[in-house]
Amino acid sequence: MNQWLLILAMLTPLASALGVAVLPAARAKTVAMYGTLVALVFVLYAGFGVFSWEQSGYMQLGMDEPIRWIPSLGLEFQVGVDGISMMLVMLTALLGPICVISSFTAIKDREKTYYAWLLVLQAAMTGVFCARDLILFYICFEFTLVPMFILISVWGSTNRKKAAIKFFLYTFTGSVIALAGLVYVAWFNVHRPGIEGHVNWTFNIQTLAFASSKWMSLNQQTWVMFALLAGFAVKVPLFPVHTWLPLAHTEAPTAGSVILAGVLLKLGTYALIRFVLPFVPAAVVAYAPLIGALCIVGIIYGGLICWVQTDVKKLVAYSSVAHLGFCVLGMFALNHAGIEGSVLYMINHGLSTGALFLLIGMIYERYHTRSMKELGGLAAKMPVWATFMVFFTMASVGLPGLNGFVSEFLCVMGTYQASTAWGSGVWHTLVPQVGTTPGELGPWYAIIAGTGMIIAAMYLLYMLGKVVWGPLRLPAGHDHHGGHDAKDDHGPALPTDLSMREIGVLVPLAVLCVALGVYPKPLLEALKAPTDSLVQAANAGREKIGVEATPGERAAKGEKGAGSAQLPGSERPAGTTHLELLTPDMISPASGRPGEVTP
Amino acid sequence: MMTLAQAGYPAAMGGATLGHYLVVSAILFTLGLIGFLTRRNLIIMFLCTELMFQASGLALIAFGRYHMSFTGQTFVIFVLTVAAAEAAMALALVVLLFRRRESLDAEAWQDMKG
Amino acid sequence: MLTAIGTMVTAAEPEGGGSHWTLTMIVVLPLVSFVLCGLCAAFKVKSKLPAWITVASLAAAFVFTLMAFMNAGPMIAAAGAEHGAEHAAASAEHAGHLTVHVFDWLNFDWGGGKSSSGRFDADFGFYIDGLTLLWMLFVTGLGTLIALYASEYMAHDVGLGYCRFFAAFSLFVLSMSCLVMASNLLMLFFGWEGVGLCSYLLIGYFYKKPAAVAAAKKAFIVNRIGDLGLLMGILGVYAAFGTVQYDKVFEFIHKGVDAGGHPLTTSSWIPVILPLLLTAGAFGKSAQLFFYVWLPDAMEGPTPVSALIHAATMVTAGVFLIARMMPLYTIDPAHTILTFVAWGGTITAFWAATIGMAHFDIKRVMGYSTASQLGYMFAGLGVMNSAGGAAHVFSHAFFKATLFLACGAVMHGFAGQLDLRKLSGVRKLPGWKIVAAAMFFGALNLSGVTFTAGFWSKDLILASSFEQSPAIGWILLITAGLTAYYTFRAYFRVFEGPVYFEPGDEVHGHDEHEDHAGHGHDGHGEESHAHDGHAQGHGHGGEFHPHAPGWAINTVLATLVVGCFAIIPLVGFAEHGAWVGKMVGASSAAMHGGEEGHGTFLGMNPHSVMYYVSSVVGLLGIAAAWWLHLAGRTSAAHANADKLEPALGPIVTWARHKWYVDEFYDAVIRIPLKFLSNIFYLLDQYLVDGLVNLTGFVPKGLGRLIRPSQSGELHGYALGMAGGLAVLILIVLMVAR
Repeated sequence: MNQWLLILAMLTPLASALGVAVLPAARAKTVAMYGTLVALVFVLYAGFGVFSWEQSGYMQLGMDEPIRWIPSLGLEFQVGVDGISMMLVMLTALLGPICVISSFTAIKDREKTYYAWLLVLQAAMTGVFCARDLILFYICFEFTLVPMFILISVWGSTNRKKAAIKFFLYTFTGSVIALAGLVYVAWFNVHRPGIEGHVNWTFNIQTLAFASSKWMSLNQQTWVMFALLAGFAVKVPLFPVHTWLPLAHTEAPTAGSVILAGVLLKLGTYALIRFVLPFVPAAVVAYAPLIGALCIVGIIYGGLICWVQTDVKKLVAYSSVAHLGFCVLGMFALNHAGIEGSVLYMINHGLSTGALFLLIGMIYERYHTRSMKELGGLAAKMPVWATFMVFFTMASVGLPGLNGFVSEFLCVMGTYQASTAWGSGVWHTLVPQVGTTPGELGPWYAIIAGTGMIIAAMYLLYMLGKVVWGPLRLPAGHDHHGGHDAKDDHGPALPTDLSMREIGVLVPLAVLCVALGVYPKPLLEALKAPTDSLVQAANAGREKIGVEATPGERAAKGEKGAGSAQLPGSERPAGTTHLELLTPDMISPASGRPGEVTP
Repeated sequence: MMTLAQAGYPAAMGGATLGHYLVVSAILFTLGLIGFLTRRNLIIMFLCTELMFQASGLALIAFGRYHMSFTGQTFVIFVLTVAAAEAAMALALVVLLFRRRESLDAEAWQDMKG
Repeated sequence: MLTAIGTMVTAAEPEGGGSHWTLTMIVVLPLVSFVLCGLCAAFKVKSKLPAWITVASLAAAFVFTLMAFMNAGPMIAAAGAEHGAEHAAASAEHAGHLTVHVFDWLNFDWGGGKSSSGRFDADFGFYIDGLTLLWMLFVTGLGTLIALYASEYMAHDVGLGYCRFFAAFSLFVLSMSCLVMASNLLMLFFGWEGVGLCSYLLIGYFYKKPAAVAAAKKAFIVNRIGDLGLLMGILGVYAAFGTVQYDKVFEFIHKGVDAGGHPLTTSSWIPVILPLLLTAGAFGKSAQLFFYVWLPDAMEGPTPVSALIHAATMVTAGVFLIARMMPLYTIDPAHTILTFVAWGGTITAFWAATIGMAHFDIKRVMGYSTASQLGYMFAGLGVMNSAGGAAHVFSHAFFKATLFLACGAVMHGFAGQLDLRKLSGVRKLPGWKIVAAAMFFGALNLSGVTFTAGFWSKDLILASSFEQSPAIGWILLITAGLTAYYTFRAYFRVFEGPVYFEPGDEVHGHDEHEDHAGHGHDGHGEESHAHDGHAQGHGHGGEFHPHAPGWAINTVLATLVVGCFAIIPLVGFAEHGAWVGKMVGASSAAMHGGEEGHGTFLGMNPHSVMYYVSSVVGLLGIAAAWWLHLAGRTSAAHANADKLEPALGPIVTWARHKWYVDEFYDAVIRIPLKFLSNIFYLLDQYLVDGLVNLTGFVPKGLGRLIRPSQSGELHGYALGMAGGLAVLILIVLMVAR
């Protein structure tokens, strides 16, 4: 049973989607809710009962033997998780029932179709995080587009058609380029220099990561990196390729926005951490300052744009651009603090921004507007709602004690530390030591990014000041006493303040926000192992750059000591290179099979 | 796999060589093509396509015989069957079209203009 | 010396088992109170229950603080003794302290054999020394008193608003305890932002007033600017020392090396830049220099909040931070940043005092006064008299809380009236004696009248200032005169002179009832106070009757007045700030730099003559206030000062408009930034997204280009097919040949 848990986590939503489609529309809500709850139970059992968080590398939480899917191409249906993906699977599973339950009153037409697609989307997202095969990953990655496209274009707001098409085409165009990059990596694996005999194709992620990081030249890695970034940076989204996001967020139905912010954006960051960092570490090291700069531009630019929004949902949507700037910045700090912060950021952003979208959806259901010009001072009318709103806004601002702070702090801390200049005298005398790490960013990046924290306070408090505080303002047609009026004739009437169902949806998120903010240690511990291998990969990438930059030195010292441009802080046992250090962890026992050299 | 002819079998045809059949086939095809391009009556145009079909069928049979292979003939039998079914469909469509416009002129139908 | 710490910690350890528990309880009790108040809100409690919960738990927390203080007694005494013995040495390492680990918060480590390893430890833990205990005593003590006061003051809002107020109040004490007791810089930051949040929530308590909302937002954002500096400073400390735990950082500083074993003073990074970054945070929280603008606006909050958060405790967090990190500040032999701190404090002290002199809003006057007095504290730290700074924090906490609460009582009784020109002779009204007395004694302290607590603590700072830098000394001395003037200006105008009052326009934010427009202020007062059992001062319609404070307010005010006298021996009548000095001496803030300076007051030893000089200056200020605002005053609105006004020209107007600093910030920072944001938004819509749309347009345009080829004519397609076939055949033929 245990090894089937992840498969079950994927199949349960799919099966319930089928059930929703077959059963009468009146049952759709119930089936969808139980389907997602059962999937959540499977995932929770997998996470807390079976998965061992200490180990590094993947855990075979799928089937024992991969299904040989298309053997001639080495395609395998193979699932498994490491600490990073397990957390994201849990986030996905948690948001599943929340999205379903939050839609109970919001969705009134074509319920069957709606819930069926929502469930299919959940299965696809779980698949992305579980896949251990590149093509399986890519299929799930792309398949998330279809349900989302339908969710936006059918149940969205006024401008939904344009938003849906833009969302689909923009992200799809990017990911096709990424596919080219991924396939090139697989091709490279069988055509790499120094190979003898015939090598079977494989799309096993770890095998490919090992091959490409070890044998690809910096030039090749750069091309691959930009191809992958074309797909994944759009999905994140990073600064210049973010414009689909505000539109899609604004137009999507509430649950769609929650999933979009909570999980779909994380597909991009997850792909960066799963493919870009381990596949092409040398290129990542070489271009980290560029990516870091883009993130910082996104943080400040996105934040300032938030400040002049009048649509609450658009404000929160743009805030995602700023927030994920921090996430990617931390990732490209390429040290432990940064990467752990980055992964935590994915979780925390999913919780707090997801909750904000839920809250805005609840208002939209009641007043049919999201404009800050029409809404104001809702604390007087909806104190419970206002309490949650202030709470999640503070989580989003990054208030210590709540989850947002932990990840934001770690990302900024990683960025601050990550500078090889610490040892070279630029940052004065500090030699590399425990407080600093080799890296490409540094204090200036951290300080400029840190202004984003001020800007975040500016726009989020601006939002609170308009919507929650101040004199009560309601759109025309909603008188000040009557609460929800007769305009809404179909569907059950909503109470003035939140109903128990709505509170029940928000409370788990709030509890997690506090828990992860006060005691993040279990997560930090769990991320230790996967982060470690990523940092090692980055160190190996630095060595590769050093090697390619100084071929003379390499010749002088012989092949073995190739990493002669020894970077500070990267102490290692004598006589070994980081490349060798990679081997035991990076190659899974299973990967020897398809990738092995046949005589 | 090698064909029979390549394997050294003699040409199985007496007076008429492969070339003759191909010439006839080409003539038939050209006639059909010219007819299709110049006539405007839907039924005539349909007949012209049938002509082109048969031309290609003839060529297939000729080559099949030449290569001492039944593939060509098998193929032609399939084509004939499909063509028969298709003829039934197509003529029915033509009748429907005629009922709509009271005309068999192909120019009457230009709805697909971009 | 390090072994000395070790022995001291172990010496404190035997009682440690008990004291850990007591220390944790100090934090747990406000947390419990916060949760219970939240539950009260959830269950819609419509009584004063939240107030009693808060008062009880804060009182218990105060008792636990006292217990912790008793437990730590030997530690303080030992450190104090050593402090007395070795006078000259810079001596953070002399301080006895106790470090308690409660649970891991942001602790993680990495690496090991293979890659570079390291760890980051930010426990939830406590670092207890004299400074911590000093602060905790007045935080919990004043917190309890002010909560009791608020139980009556906020009575008009019983219900949801009442729960909200006390929940935020408890959360504030919780955060402040974390800030003060933190064992590391990051936990300090946790408390630091926590108090910022509570400040935001409480300033914006009357959330229906746009001014309150704006003030709350301003306070949070201005604070955040400073916090960025603090956060970067914390990261810098980590980069330099590989840890943010106080004890370890102080150990490195004592050894004079950073984590890499290099001397600290070889570059400006550690001695100058790190303290500068921390100072940014301190100045933000304590409203100094460029950051002071949020504090006067914060007076929009309910008065108990102003008293506790914006006078007694939270705003002194900046002083605490610098005092706590004093070893870092004293690395630099030239004391660059300390000089900067001193000047920052001095300028703010003077600047804010000038505004306080002109303002008519009594609460704003107190707000500016707080900024000004905080300036004194920073000046005290900057001139190397941390004991003086801390003593002033301590005495200021008492007397400024007294003043604020007295103002609050007036505001409460006169329906929010705060204008100096519309109140007069309040002392002579029935039931206002205690308020007037509290105001009077508070004002005496603030003015630095001889032998009051305020006098002793201010003198410590003034004397050290003259020693270190006579320029600072003179400015502070003049400011002392101004302080006495504006304090008694407020007192004389409101409490003395002919009896006159106009009600204010108070509209309290009601959570329960939307229809406050329905009843006037009389009915309003009637409704909320009918059950309080004090009948005087209530009319039934028609003209306004002020209602005198009830037992809770009077008790608290009386207690505070007694407190103001009781603390005199704790700060006065001895060298180096008496008991407070000893507490500070037994902490990381210990320093004896006062002896190093060579400045004099007109050739005399400032420590000897300052008592007389400052007394005279204070009395001069009071005399000026008496002559300008009380002598011969027959109405509330006009006094002798009005005659002086034309002589001063536009200066008074400028000062009354706060020297247009808010307008300046608006024009220089906010409006350009808003403009930039709008530009960005336009760019985003039309350039960044425009490029995307352009890319999308390319296939569309291409399609439009070749669209005519689809004529819809059957023959056209047929011809195309035939042509294509012909071309294909041609190609085949050409390739074949």
